[in-house]
Amino acid sequence: MPTEKAEAIVLRTTDYSDTSRIVALFTDQFGRISALAKGGRRLKSSFENSLDLLADCQIVFISKSSGLDLLTSSQLIGRFRPQPNDLNCLYAGYYVAELLLGLTEEYDPHPNLFQVTRETLSEFSQAGLVARAVLRFELAMLREIGQLPDFEVCMNCGSLLEGAKPSGFLLAESGLLCASCSGPDWRGPVMHGGTLRVLQMLSQEEGEVWRNLVLIPQQFREGRQLTTLSISHILGKQPKSLKLLMLSVG
Amino acid sequence: MPKPVEPAHHPYGPKVGALVERLASLPGIGGKTAERLAQHLLDCPKTEALAFARAITDVRAAVHPCPECFNLTENDLCDICRDPRREKHLVCIVEQPRDLLSLEATGIFPGLYHVLGGRISPLNGVGPDDLNLDALVKRVRDRGIQEVVMATNPNLEGDGTALYITNLLAEQPVKITRLARGIATGSVLEFANREMLADALRGRQAF
Ligand SMILES: [Zn+2]
Ligand SMILES: [Zn+2]
Repeated sequence: MPTEKAEAIVLRTTDYSDTSRIVALFTDQFGRISALAKGGRRLKSSFENSLDLLADCQIVFISKSSGLDLLTSSQLIGRFRPQPNDLNCLYAGYYVAELLLGLTEEYDPHPNLFQVTRETLSEFSQAGLVARAVLRFELAMLREIGQLPDFEVCMNCGSLLEGAKPSGFLLAESGLLCASCSGPDWRGPVMHGGTLRVLQMLSQEEGEVWRNLVLIPQQFREGRQLTTLSISHILGKQPKSLKLLMLSVG
Repeated sequence: MPKPVEPAHHPYGPKVGALVERLASLPGIGGKTAERLAQHLLDCPKTEALAFARAITDVRAAVHPCPECFNLTENDLCDICRDPRREKHLVCIVEQPRDLLSLEATGIFPGLYHVLGGRISPLNGVGPDDLNLDALVKRVRDRGIQEVVMATNPNLEGDGTALYITNLLAEQPVKITRLARGIATGSVLEFANREMLADALRGRQAF
């Protein structure tokens, strides 16, 4: 039973007994884990009240071959601090946690996604970029789990998705169809060329380009449609926290 | 955690298996403890075991949320709501009845309470509609309440719930305060001691 150290973000805590709780954590090296924090509900414990939702922690845990891991200590790196008096920033944080819980597997490491998660959560300390940061996180998530559409080529004929005619989004295959492959009778969601370019830039792993991107309402609407449909499709339901979240272009 | 025996395959038969399964579903009771409790209920005098069963039935038949504040009671109104010495214009908002008990134990809060029945926690499937919020808004509007004290737990979800309620009451002519931050952030009221809670109530500040 090896003892492991990791940096971790708290995704969910569930009371287990009078004093203990079960904590779902997204770690930098191990992906998502579930661990029992004995005494984790007490005011004075080896967890120092660090196990609040979305807090960023330095943890030590014992990895068990079956069942729950055992959390032995946790120190706070930083609490999640959504912009004060802005519920939307808080709900955006809940949404990030819900996606990590629903779309990643235990012990499936995603170090890039961990980094993006940290950046995204710190973005919610100001209301300004919430909508874009959420979209960027959703795209990073889809890429990590292999469900991000290719925004450049038609999945059917391989031709470049260019020009004025909108592409069709084929949800079941998470791919895009050029205008001639989707055909005049296409009734599914459509994505305009500008939307695809913007989504392409937002989904780039590196750089800060996304911060300065200005989305027009059509691009924002189509982009949200693509991510929401994809995520709901994979989860088999609409994420609960998405219902509370109000995202608008800006 | 050890995997419990399938209820149908319990060595004493499926009825004992079902009891063990029920007991194990209680908070903090693992498989082994459930097994021991079931054994005790079989070993003790029959009258004792049946009295236990009756206590559960009676409690569930008699105890219900107070229609005014959602505290638990066996009466039409709970003891606090019925108490004429209580200040009717002051209401303290808590998540659960057990938080009310913790604050009551300080003996210094002169007002009434409003129990939400949880906190907004979409990750656990709890949204604003699942809490006793309509009743709160109605109470504040119709009962001339002058001060609402937020005593949700001092953690992310508790604070978020308090903020939601503050927005909900923004149109009403009511003063909104919160407990002083004597209790560590990230914790719960349940584990704070009496003095800490008393200090938090005395030092309450504008939201
Ligand atoms: Zn094509
Ligand atoms: Zn009452």
